[in-house]
Amino acid sequence: MEKMHLPSDFLPIFIQLGLALGFIITTMLVTHSIGPKRNSKLKDEAFECGIPAEGDARTPISVKYFLIAILFVLFDVEVIFMYPWAVNFKSLGWAGFVEMLLFMGLLLAGFYYVIRKGVLKWE
Amino acid sequence: MLPIVLLSVFGIVVLFLGFSKSKNILLPATLLFLLVTLIANFVDWNHQYLYFNDMLWGNNASMVFSGIVLLSAFFVVALTRGFEQEGEAAQPAEYYGIMLFSLVGAIMMISYENLIILFVGVEILSVSIYILTGSDKRNLRSNEAALKYFLMGAFATGIMLFGMALMYGATGSFVISDISEIIGTRAWNEQSQLLYAGLLMLLVGLLFKVSAAPFHFWTPDVYDGAPTIFTAYMSTIVKTAGFAALYRLLAGSLASLQDYWFATLATITVLTLLAGNVTAVYQTSFKRMLAYSSISHAGYLLIALTSLTAKSQSSILFYSLAYSLSTVSAFGVLILVSQQQASNNYDAFNGLAKKNPFLAFVLAVSMLSLAGIPLTAGFMGKLFVFTDAAQKGTIWLLVVAILASAIGIYYYFRVLIAAYFKEGDLATIRIAPFYKVVLIIVTTLTIVLGLFPDLVLQLV
Amino acid sequence: MFSEATAAIPDVIQQVKIQHYIFLATALFVIGIVGVLTRRNAIVIFMSVELMLNSVNLLLITFSAYRSDPAGQVFVFFIMAVAAAEVAVGLAIIVMIYRNTRTIDVGFLNKLKF
Repeated sequence: MEKMHLPSDFLPIFIQLGLALGFIITTMLVTHSIGPKRNSKLKDEAFECGIPAEGDARTPISVKYFLIAILFVLFDVEVIFMYPWAVNFKSLGWAGFVEMLLFMGLLLAGFYYVIRKGVLKWE
Repeated sequence: MLPIVLLSVFGIVVLFLGFSKSKNILLPATLLFLLVTLIANFVDWNHQYLYFNDMLWGNNASMVFSGIVLLSAFFVVALTRGFEQEGEAAQPAEYYGIMLFSLVGAIMMISYENLIILFVGVEILSVSIYILTGSDKRNLRSNEAALKYFLMGAFATGIMLFGMALMYGATGSFVISDISEIIGTRAWNEQSQLLYAGLLMLLVGLLFKVSAAPFHFWTPDVYDGAPTIFTAYMSTIVKTAGFAALYRLLAGSLASLQDYWFATLATITVLTLLAGNVTAVYQTSFKRMLAYSSISHAGYLLIALTSLTAKSQSSILFYSLAYSLSTVSAFGVLILVSQQQASNNYDAFNGLAKKNPFLAFVLAVSMLSLAGIPLTAGFMGKLFVFTDAAQKGTIWLLVVAILASAIGIYYYFRVLIAAYFKEGDLATIRIAPFYKVVLIIVTTLTIVLGLFPDLVLQLV
Repeated sequence: MFSEATAAIPDVIQQVKIQHYIFLATALFVIGIVGVLTRRNAIVIFMSVELMLNSVNLLLITFSAYRSDPAGQVFVFFIMAVAAAEVAVGLAIIVMIYRNTRTIDVGFLNKLKF
């Protein structure tokens, strides 16, 4: 059986889209127009104390952050293998539990390796 | 199943061994692990097995393929002394660990029954090799090779995956035998159009991994830029595993569509043979020539694949064994010579035979085998492959292949002429005893297999 | 297409025809390919590759839903996990190059030529 779809069926989606866009655009415009603006070179400089601003703000950040970000991506994604297991927890039974323990054990081995390598040391 | 489990565990063990004080234990440990795995690989001998919920399938042939991969890995690892001397940047435990992990991927590619396993295997192998390619961290050439390989490899993976998805859409299954069954029930013009698009994209992805033309442009750059030892590693293992995977796909599930893919693959074969052999002639670097030679050998292997007769599997098997052995010894000599001369060019080999007759002999046997001169394994390999093509009746393909191997003789002999007939000031190169043993074994195997090919062929 | 199996598919899914999903996935895939071929920044190329992988995920889920067959969804899990591993290695390679050259423009990579 074929169901017909009129454009009006998608109306809620468009309303949602309009609201989301509208909120962002309105707030951006309103904050810009309401707030007072007094720009001068003197005002942008560091006041009394602090070092003068230099160069671009988009400088490369410490490699430590990069490694931690990478590790986060890796360990974060492994969770997706737990969702199917959780959904079928009862039907998979003990065999599934042992397999999941094995999986977690391997992940923990990796985690221990990361710690021993000193990746998570902050100083 | 056993080799996969063992290699994974051993890989982790090697990683943790790296924390111990004495780094000297790593190489013997890795070699021991590889040997254990090599033996464990054959426990299912004469049985057909299905493991992991029928996702992994194997028989004698796939065990021999895995054996070839493990054996070449053993030889290459045995040639890796010297990681330790690279200073603080060297991380031998990681590299040995990654090599072991990559073999898991290779074995999965060889004995997959489900396309998921093929994908995971390809990725384990490729990602490991991206790392190994870039392992010379301070060297810009190595960096560049790693990035190029990574970007193009990921691109090819994407195409391969899209192909798999389309095939799933057309047949409703990822299992090789199911796909074969579903395709078999319909004539070629009744198949879903998605199947043909999917098959083509899947083939493109896999052909990229084995560096067949026109998907070969990454090969010379990556082989040239990577540290030589890892070039040897990837040119042997990726090629063997890749062709085993292609054979399994084409023979296992798509044999009934041979009329459809034959023309495509035959064209790619001719392109690969010509691109590899003709471009190899113009190289001045021996290492880069070996890269093009690996493309041309992919061409010869493709001939057996394209013909797909009953004996294709054993031809592919024998050819990849012969190719792996000769390649390992060629790179083994290259490593020693380039350490001495700080150059990978042909001139570096000038006068090699005068003070290093052993190395020159090893090089000679390996080059003769790669060129396909009688009494070497390479000759028998080419003979089997050409016989397949003759049986299929594709004489034009055979003519191209024979012309290509005639070109091959020219560039393989160039280095021999440099080694034997040119004047050079190459001093005597000190060879570690273990290194020498590996070179002797590999060279002997090349000659023995050239005389008695049945030793391997009767296994499958 | 898929006429033999449609009885098992919930009405909600059938409301949008499978062709639409295939076209959408293909369009995303082609956008990814064009991105890989035309961009010169390694990170943007890499993002395009990820777009290709995700279009594959969409396609697999579509087929999986229309066939009421879970295999496609299982494959998606594996693609996501492997893509994460690939991201880790890929970004590490890109950072390594950035440290040595201070750029990630692929045009700088011209050391290897024959």
